[in-house]
Amino acid sequence: MITQMHVKGLMFDPYNNAYIVILRDEHQTDMLPIWVGKPEAGAISLALEDVAPPRPMTHDFMKSYLDAYNAKVISVVISDLNENTYFAKIHLMHEDSEYTVDSRPSDAIALAIRSQAPIFANESVIRKQGSDELERWLENLKPEDFGKLDS
Amino acid sequence: MTTSAPSSTHNLIELLVSRVVEDSGTDTRIVVLTRPDTESDTLTIWVGASEGEAIRRVLDTNVTPRPMSHDLVKSFGEHFGIKTERVVLTDVKSSTYYATVYLSSKGVERMIDARPSDAIALALRTQAPIYVTPDVWKRRSGQNLDAWLNKLESKNIGTQEV
Repeated sequence: MITQMHVKGLMFDPYNNAYIVILRDEHQTDMLPIWVGKPEAGAISLALEDVAPPRPMTHDFMKSYLDAYNAKVISVVISDLNENTYFAKIHLMHEDSEYTVDSRPSDAIALAIRSQAPIFANESVIRKQGSDELERWLENLKPEDFGKLDS
Repeated sequence: MTTSAPSSTHNLIELLVSRVVEDSGTDTRIVVLTRPDTESDTLTIWVGASEGEAIRRVLDTNVTPRPMSHDLVKSFGEHFGIKTERVVLTDVKSSTYYATVYLSSKGVERMIDARPSDAIALALRTQAPIYVTPDVWKRRSGQNLDAWLNKLESKNIGTQEV
């Protein structure tokens, strides 16, 4: 089972000096936080805010590369969680064939937003994240810790 | 993106990536490119820290445990049969360099515009040659940077691998 997720925002995690991409399902019941580095967060943030940077950034370059040969991103799936590391798969169409390419979630999400492709998460990943540890962590976060993108 | 056939490499000057230097105290890296024929002549390009790391990671032949952004582009190429033919530094305006990536797939050639950092990071991963036009080579900035670069590098010895 997979659930469609939407990028609800980006927040800074001061404890780990990293950024968290918050994915939520459409009923706002499931939440999936993914920790990413600063450049990865920047790549997602630029796409979310629909800012056209003066020069094409890495994921814009990636999109041009795919566009050059009419390869289309159909969807991305946050597929697995292993030892605190998430894994994602990018599904693409190229010349009537479907391809699945392994990716980091940050690249997959940055590319999905630029391609208007849906983002899904495996139920197992969401369930694993619904652990007590995460809930305790989230309880300690103040509302103002959430980014302005969560509008 | 344009669909015109990539021009020949006639007149182009091949460059090798020599090293990536940390500009300590700043969020930038300096990519040093050299001509194989005259190693004393360099072309230096300032790039962001993460872009610089994407290039340095290949030079160090450090196998990163997870595929990074440019490894993903390489992976797309392998899946779809797209070859990186070459990368050309085509222009420089106010010290900002512009690059074109030449691709081919089953005889179909495409060119895409890119930042030099993305173009170089992909070229190194796909064993594609890197070229500069004679005009850009002539107009490259920092022709007298060598002494300064050497100082920067000696200062950074031992910190690069951290």
